[in-house]
Amino acid sequence: MKNIVEINNLTKKYSNKIALDNISLNIEEGKVVGILGPNGSGKTTLIKILTGLLRQTSGEVLIDGQKIGIYTKSIVSYLPDRNFLYKWMKIKDASDLFKDFYSDFDEGKFEELLRFMKLDRDMRIDTLSKGMHEKLNLSLVLARNAKLYVLDEPIAGVDPVARDEILNAIINNYNEKSSMIITTHLVRDMENILDDVVFLKDGKIILSDSAESLREERNMNIDDIYKEVFSQ
Amino acid sequence: MFKYIKYEIKGTYKYILGVLALVLILTIALYSLVGNIITNPIARNMFVGLSMMILFGTALATFLYIVGSFRKELYEDRGYLTFTLPITGNQIVGAKLIVALFWILVILTSIAIYHFIAMLIYMTSFELSAFLKNIFTVEVMKRILVGIFMTILNMIQMLTIIYFSMALGRVTFKNKKIGGLWFIIFLILSWLISYGHLKVVELIPYYFDLNGFGVQNSDSMMYQMNMNPHGSFSFSLNIDSLITNIAGLIYDVIVTVGLFLGTSYLVEKKIDL
Amino acid sequence: MMEFNNNLPIYIQIMNLIKSKIVSGEINGGDKLSSVRDLSKELKVNPNTIQRAYQELEREGIVFTQRGMGTYVTEDIQVIRSLKMNMASEIMNKFIDDMKRIGLNMDEIKKMFIEWIEKEDR
Repeated sequence: MKNIVEINNLTKKYSNKIALDNISLNIEEGKVVGILGPNGSGKTTLIKILTGLLRQTSGEVLIDGQKIGIYTKSIVSYLPDRNFLYKWMKIKDASDLFKDFYSDFDEGKFEELLRFMKLDRDMRIDTLSKGMHEKLNLSLVLARNAKLYVLDEPIAGVDPVARDEILNAIINNYNEKSSMIITTHLVRDMENILDDVVFLKDGKIILSDSAESLREERNMNIDDIYKEVFSQ
Repeated sequence: MFKYIKYEIKGTYKYILGVLALVLILTIALYSLVGNIITNPIARNMFVGLSMMILFGTALATFLYIVGSFRKELYEDRGYLTFTLPITGNQIVGAKLIVALFWILVILTSIAIYHFIAMLIYMTSFELSAFLKNIFTVEVMKRILVGIFMTILNMIQMLTIIYFSMALGRVTFKNKKIGGLWFIIFLILSWLISYGHLKVVELIPYYFDLNGFGVQNSDSMMYQMNMNPHGSFSFSLNIDSLITNIAGLIYDVIVTVGLFLGTSYLVEKKIDL
Repeated sequence: MMEFNNNLPIYIQIMNLIKSKIVSGEINGGDKLSSVRDLSKELKVNPNTIQRAYQELEREGIVFTQRGMGTYVTEDIQVIRSLKMNMASEIMNKFIDDMKRIGLNMDEIKKMFIEWIEKEDR
């Protein structure tokens, strides 16, 4: 099984703290990996390095065998934890932008997802609620046939109904040639769709295994393991 | 890059259109009131002064808006989109630069046209044919073209210094964020560049005269450069000569290109959002 | 949406779900099971987990996979019957354990059980 992501001895230091402390991690093709941990554990830092928004202090990060750069940006579909679309846009402008810059963008799939999320192409981005924003961003991201999807807290801050719709969209979109990295602290809702889980605490990986193995070994679901691991 | 230019224009044109409309109205109001209605000389001056202030304010606000487009990428959420698109730093900075320059030129040209038309309409003492005859001579045209050229180059240099200063504020060097107000960095950088220009001009006093297309070296040349003689991209637009310091010109070009490439490099490889 | 409990790996819970449906007759011998994709969407579970469940069921002889066509329940009546018997004896074991836990001995359990059955018959 090929590794779509290879991380070796990755460290990210700031003058007053160590955000990521010498972590190593590989992600295979076709796997859905959950990076779990509370706020400040280093999840978002890791994601930003993978997507090219942050530089590592030391260590190696390869996506599809390449260092982070223009190529990796073209094969990584990133869902950030914020509203990143340009405020002047309507939904159709966002769709045009994605189509212009990403050759793997599937307009048909996007239309379908829009319908599923009950959004309309003519809506203005600055009038959308937080939940609608999240659903729109997810639609754009999932409509790409990317090699790696990186979803940063996809269901945080959304109402339960939207949450369900988002989870459904993620599951419906699964394809065994692509991999997915999902960061979350809402483990309960997400754990059934994860193949592997990586627990991140204070910038270090303290546990990394397949979800089912962990359930078998400990007779607990991942949410309970999470609570146990992070309650100290 | 042209794809990105498309979106850059789409995102800014409404504001620019608004500014153009505003300036048009102000210009017409100014000319019609001052031209014919307000006769009290004190009121006239006051009114002109006030309009100048408003125009200046609008110009400043617009300029800040235009460069603000680059700043937003570095400091607001939209950077998460721009800097994850598979485009190079050169393409991003190039697009921003081109569109900024484009809007500035559009606005300046529009203002010139407004004034021209307003003069035609409101200033009864204005003789169009005589005016045009005076303009369309080789000497005047040369100077106008050089003036435009100079303005554009100066604009480009200023924009690149601003962009570089903004980008520098978001770079992490040896694990420390450089930070700081981009404006301060801009002032420092501008001063350094001007100082460098001064030194270059002092050391290599060779001048190029567009009037006769010859290269000259003479101390008396320096006296002739009386219009911002040692500023960047400067030509002396005197009646009898049209000269610029060659080394200075080359220096300015190198600095501008260097800042552009520097900004692209920072933006593509060095920023920490 | 199916609620998965805490103690067992999900793939085992899915296997049990399918086994009960076969035993109750909801799914018949020879029937085609939902595709891995469809079931994953329905249960909101990672497809790899479903895949594992199907593989384990195949190992136990309860289902078989035809390349390119899908996964089918076995038509072997013996297999289904012994599945039923296995599930029944698990229920019996649990019943006896639970009854013992509330303090009844085997005689009392036997007596109560026969009474209940006879009541049901009437």
